[in-house]
Amino acid sequence: MSGKVREEHKDQIERWANYVREHPYEWKSKLKPFIDGQIIMARRFYSKLAETSEGMEKIKLLRNLNS
Amino acid sequence: MDRGIDDKTILDKFAEDFVRVIDKHCKYIIVSGFVAIAHGRSRGTEDIDMIIEKLSKEQFSILHKDLLKNGFECMQSEDSDVVYEYLTNKTSVRYTRIGEFLPEMEIKFAKDEIDEFQLKTRKKLPLTGSDIYFSSIEMNIAFKETYLKSDKDMEDARHLRIIYKDKINENEINEIKKMIRRVRMK
Repeated sequence: MSGKVREEHKDQIERWANYVREHPYEWKSKLKPFIDGQIIMARRFYSKLAETSEGMEKIKLLRNLNS
Repeated sequence: MDRGIDDKTILDKFAEDFVRVIDKHCKYIIVSGFVAIAHGRSRGTEDIDMIIEKLSKEQFSILHKDLLKNGFECMQSEDSDVVYEYLTNKTSVRYTRIGEFLPEMEIKFAKDEIDEFQLKTRKKLPLTGSDIYFSSIEMNIAFKETYLKSDKDMEDARHLRIIYKDKINENEINEIKKMIRRVRMK
């Protein structure tokens, strides 16, 4: 990540952290679709991959990669 | 702080269902990435990291069977003796809900005085809205800034520092950092 992008990314993290701090009752409903979305997409992908030939083999390899 | 059940993410529900079983058998803590995510950090994770107190083979077998009975499966093996072997070799084991690839709970036995200290000082953190024990915020910040140190970890630490900016005990963070250097980085 270049210096400028890195700084902007840091700024974004700080802005969001301050929002969470200042809006304790609102932040979660904003974050939920993002967190859930990643898991829903990954599950959908793994289900499709499992249906392909060698899909389960690939899933095993992917899971070992993450361990 | 109460939030509606609809606000719970897939990760929250998975973690809460899992710890409900674990809690009957031993002391546990959730550490690392999920601590930051439960405090609103907007980043992805595939697993939740848990440390549990060291159990005997028999105690672990009862816990493992209870997890299976409650709809979880272990990626490494169904056989509790095999899973126990992993844990005693300081290797983590991973559980998911039966038939689901994600999310995963990655479990380790407490392995040294730092883990024992984390278990001893565990906390429920009301800001998260979750009924779960976490390692303390100071511990998480110290680990991320001293030991883990990836960009993602440094950002997690920064996020937690902002969330708890009036409440963080800097002396405690410094003491924990010293302990980490002494025990894990010698």
